[in-house]
Amino acid sequence: MAFIKLNDLEIEVEDGTNIVEAAREHGIEVPHYCYHPGLSRPANCRMCLIDVYLRSSEMPERQLATGCTTTVRSAPPDKKLDGKYDIIVRTDSPRVIKAREDILEFLLVHHPLDCPVCDQAGECDLQDFSYRHGHDKSRYIEVKNIPPKKDLGPDVLLYSTRCIVCTRCIRFCDEVSGSGELGLINRGSHDEIDIPRSHEGIPIQLLDNKLAGNVVDICPVGALISKDFLFKSRPWFMEKANSVCSGCSVGCNVTVEYKADGLYRIKPRFHEDINQHWMCDDGRLGYHYVNSDDRLQLPQKRVDGELVTTQWADALAFITENLSEVDAADIVVIGSAQGTNEDNYVLQQFAHDVLKTTQLGLFGQLHGEEHKFPQFTIEADKNPNTAGARTVLGYANGNVVLEGNELWEKVAGAKIVYLVSGVPERSLEDAEREALEKVDFLIVQDVLPSAATELADVVLPGTTFAEKDGTFTNSTGWVQRIRKSIDPPGEAQVDWEITQQLAKRLGGEIDYHFAGEIAIAIAENVPGYGDATHQNIGDTGIKLD
Amino acid sequence: MVQERRILYEHLDVPNINTFDVYRQHEGYTRFEKAIAEYQPEEIAQMVWDAGLKGRGGAGFSTGEKWSFVPRDIEPRYLCCNADESEPGTFSNRYVLEKNPHLLIEGILICCYAMGIETTYVYIRGEFTLGKKMLDAAIKEAYEQGYLGENVRDTGLNINIYSHPGAGAYICGEETGLIESLEGKRGQPRNKPPFPAVQGVFMKPTVVQNVETLCNLPFIVGNGVEWYTQMGPTYADTRKDPPEPDRNTGTKLYCISGDVNEPGVYELDLGLTCTELIEVAGGLRGEEVKAVIPGGSSAPILTHYELDTRLDFTSLTLAKSMLGSGGIIVMNETRNIVDCLLNIMKFYAHESCGQCTPCRWGTPWVRDIVQRIADGEGRQTTITRPKFGVTESGRWGDTGETEEIYEDLDLLENVANNIANVDTMTWNTICVFGIAVSWPAVSYMRKFRPEFEAAIREGKLVTLPIAEATVPPEENYAYQQRFIPKEFSELQETTED
Repeated sequence: MAFIKLNDLEIEVEDGTNIVEAAREHGIEVPHYCYHPGLSRPANCRMCLIDVYLRSSEMPERQLATGCTTTVRSAPPDKKLDGKYDIIVRTDSPRVIKAREDILEFLLVHHPLDCPVCDQAGECDLQDFSYRHGHDKSRYIEVKNIPPKKDLGPDVLLYSTRCIVCTRCIRFCDEVSGSGELGLINRGSHDEIDIPRSHEGIPIQLLDNKLAGNVVDICPVGALISKDFLFKSRPWFMEKANSVCSGCSVGCNVTVEYKADGLYRIKPRFHEDINQHWMCDDGRLGYHYVNSDDRLQLPQKRVDGELVTTQWADALAFITENLSEVDAADIVVIGSAQGTNEDNYVLQQFAHDVLKTTQLGLFGQLHGEEHKFPQFTIEADKNPNTAGARTVLGYANGNVVLEGNELWEKVAGAKIVYLVSGVPERSLEDAEREALEKVDFLIVQDVLPSAATELADVVLPGTTFAEKDGTFTNSTGWVQRIRKSIDPPGEAQVDWEITQQLAKRLGGEIDYHFAGEIAIAIAENVPGYGDATHQNIGDTGIKLD
Repeated sequence: MVQERRILYEHLDVPNINTFDVYRQHEGYTRFEKAIAEYQPEEIAQMVWDAGLKGRGGAGFSTGEKWSFVPRDIEPRYLCCNADESEPGTFSNRYVLEKNPHLLIEGILICCYAMGIETTYVYIRGEFTLGKKMLDAAIKEAYEQGYLGENVRDTGLNINIYSHPGAGAYICGEETGLIESLEGKRGQPRNKPPFPAVQGVFMKPTVVQNVETLCNLPFIVGNGVEWYTQMGPTYADTRKDPPEPDRNTGTKLYCISGDVNEPGVYELDLGLTCTELIEVAGGLRGEEVKAVIPGGSSAPILTHYELDTRLDFTSLTLAKSMLGSGGIIVMNETRNIVDCLLNIMKFYAHESCGQCTPCRWGTPWVRDIVQRIADGEGRQTTITRPKFGVTESGRWGDTGETEEIYEDLDLLENVANNIANVDTMTWNTICVFGIAVSWPAVSYMRKFRPEFEAAIREGKLVTLPIAEATVPPEENYAYQQRFIPKEFSELQETTED
């Protein structure tokens, strides 16, 4: 630990921390553009200039230093300033304040005043820092550079006029995704970010790697814009919820941004051990099914071979009628790797305590491809909670959680199957279809009409990750919270509530009021989950032993 | 009349000196052989330090001191010879490369021996096609004669030289920009520290030296430190107590161009005045000297009042200018300073690498302002600002009075100072390109302000008579703040008295 003086604060900082981070931890803003904690530090924006005292506590060094590259190190005892400080830093001296003003003036000379039509407005570092540290008017009366707008890839647009050439995006593609599509062309004030093009200007390599969307997040201005979010909403009109991506078993921490009418975008949230600052485009753009008009809103039951919508009471009565007539051995209950631990825990309780069956299964998205990048991995398991569902379904005495062929063989021989799916856009493989077709009475709980609902005798409208509270356990054993952001469509209900209602109708004593209560039950009963209450998990999650 | 003292250029005009045999007849490689035979590597480094050799590339940093920063326990170490001579007004290295490349190779060999270096890269300006051809031929010969390659002359040394052409960027003459370019990246300077001496080429310790600096080494080794220190002045560095000698020893290849009768490269002792230099170059072409650029286009200009300034590293620094690369451009009374500044600013706006914010967007802004003034479109509006001048205490500073100044001139000065502040010598940029831009911009404007004002007032370029165009000495910031250093010997005499 180093002991430093930051303005008038005396603070302890870990060795190797840079001044921007040290100041941020203590609530002091050092404005910066090119510096990003997940990338290398070229110190090219010159915005984080600070006064550094290295040799004397009276006189700062002659040149201002960049805060991002000034790292704190414990000094030997004889080199300490005033006998105790390892370094003295001022971020508020008059010449630092002037330097910031000057740099901002330069940044703005070619920047268009198109904030009213810019997507970044409201979350733009250039806007914010100009407001807090800049001049109130421009002295620039010469002609502005107007470089062209560019289509870089499937989801990324570049408004070159707004670019301040901080090179974060270039460094991201070089260091994190390792794909190196982006580079600078031209020189000096004509610097432009671009992708490799032929002499005719035709792109020969698009910015289409699976992490490309991150360049939009890290762009401090509105130069790189997501086509998916273009002109959709003002940032300040959207509510935000901390959640976890449901796209694969990595479990990237995300912020879900939404309005009453649905989700608008998903952005990565920092987690040191899981996703750092990043997420993949599959997860980022994979939320559209939540907003889909096709979402199941009412229960359906099969009447004369046709699925017709019905009331909840009717659908549940229909199910209980059928369930009560069958032996426990002929029932298979299948949980979902897309569901939360809470959903699966209640389902397990329903199967074990009410239906008295120990035959459980686990259903989920088909495996995809694994993508490895220098600093990021997209896993092949496309379910957010395979590990959690497996543990929670299988913890109780005698429970068997079947997966794959074993499960479908068992299903083929069963009379009643209660399949909690919630897996969007999941087709059925031949073996799966055949098995489900043989089932006498198939209950499918899902969010969208799917291959499984087509075969169902009763369809119950469930909810997606955006519409419920709960926890996911990722492939490395991190238990993390997802939070409800929007209401379920129509009369769709949270999955564990549906299960609980069924249980109640069959005389079960399952009575939870909110997801947190279930998490406490999980913590009490499921081995390894002892600390995993919602209170303990918080925003960062906890890692299972 | 001052005479040329040809040392580096002594054999320049000998026919076929570029071939090994002819070079060998003129003491070629004997200095290297002497170095190996008579001195340990550390002794050579000490000799270079004692000789007071200053880097000839521009900054004038002590070569011996630079070598002392190189950690000798990290392998490999590299030597990088900077032959990217791109400063406007400078053309001395080119002659060495084209006419006497073996001299450079000998200098490299001595440096490699002194620093225990096995690999040298010579980064040659892309435009020097002939220079590269000649150097490559010389390197080939040196390999054939056993002066390069494995086990040089049976001494056990392995020394290799590779020449690498630049791609035509001014900034690649900056040492870290050069290293980046050499590594195959975009030529953009690095943040310092770490300095190249610690982490340079491929992040290994690297000595970066100008061609001219390396060419001095054979003569220091061959003729000894004492002989070398006789040339050029040794000043007393009075900031130190007791004063230490500040050596400006050796000769310098002055590249004199502009309004002189015999422009060209002249090898002269350091420490001559501008007036003497113009005489050496065949005298002025025209009536009167209006201004002199003393060290390449990035150096602050000198007015005719400042022609007694001695052209060496220390004197020019203390006169608020710099010797830089020794590219001296003389202007006579027909030259319009606004036009000159426009020319220079066009160059810098074009050559800014665009890496850091102030330079990327400040440099073209300064150019645009000067362009506007030169086009006669300077704004007539004036603003009132504090007047700087000689204060009651006799020093330069805020006089407490105010002055009226054209808005565009204030803007020009202010924008340039925001890139790099000329008065406090602080810059917001990564490399010193920033100060290379604001030095001319601010010094031209301040020292020849009447000519700028005339251009705005008249709406066109007006070349004023010298007396009117130049700010008088009492209002000249540099003239008032300049300090003429004392020779070390003089100081000792006075203390003895």
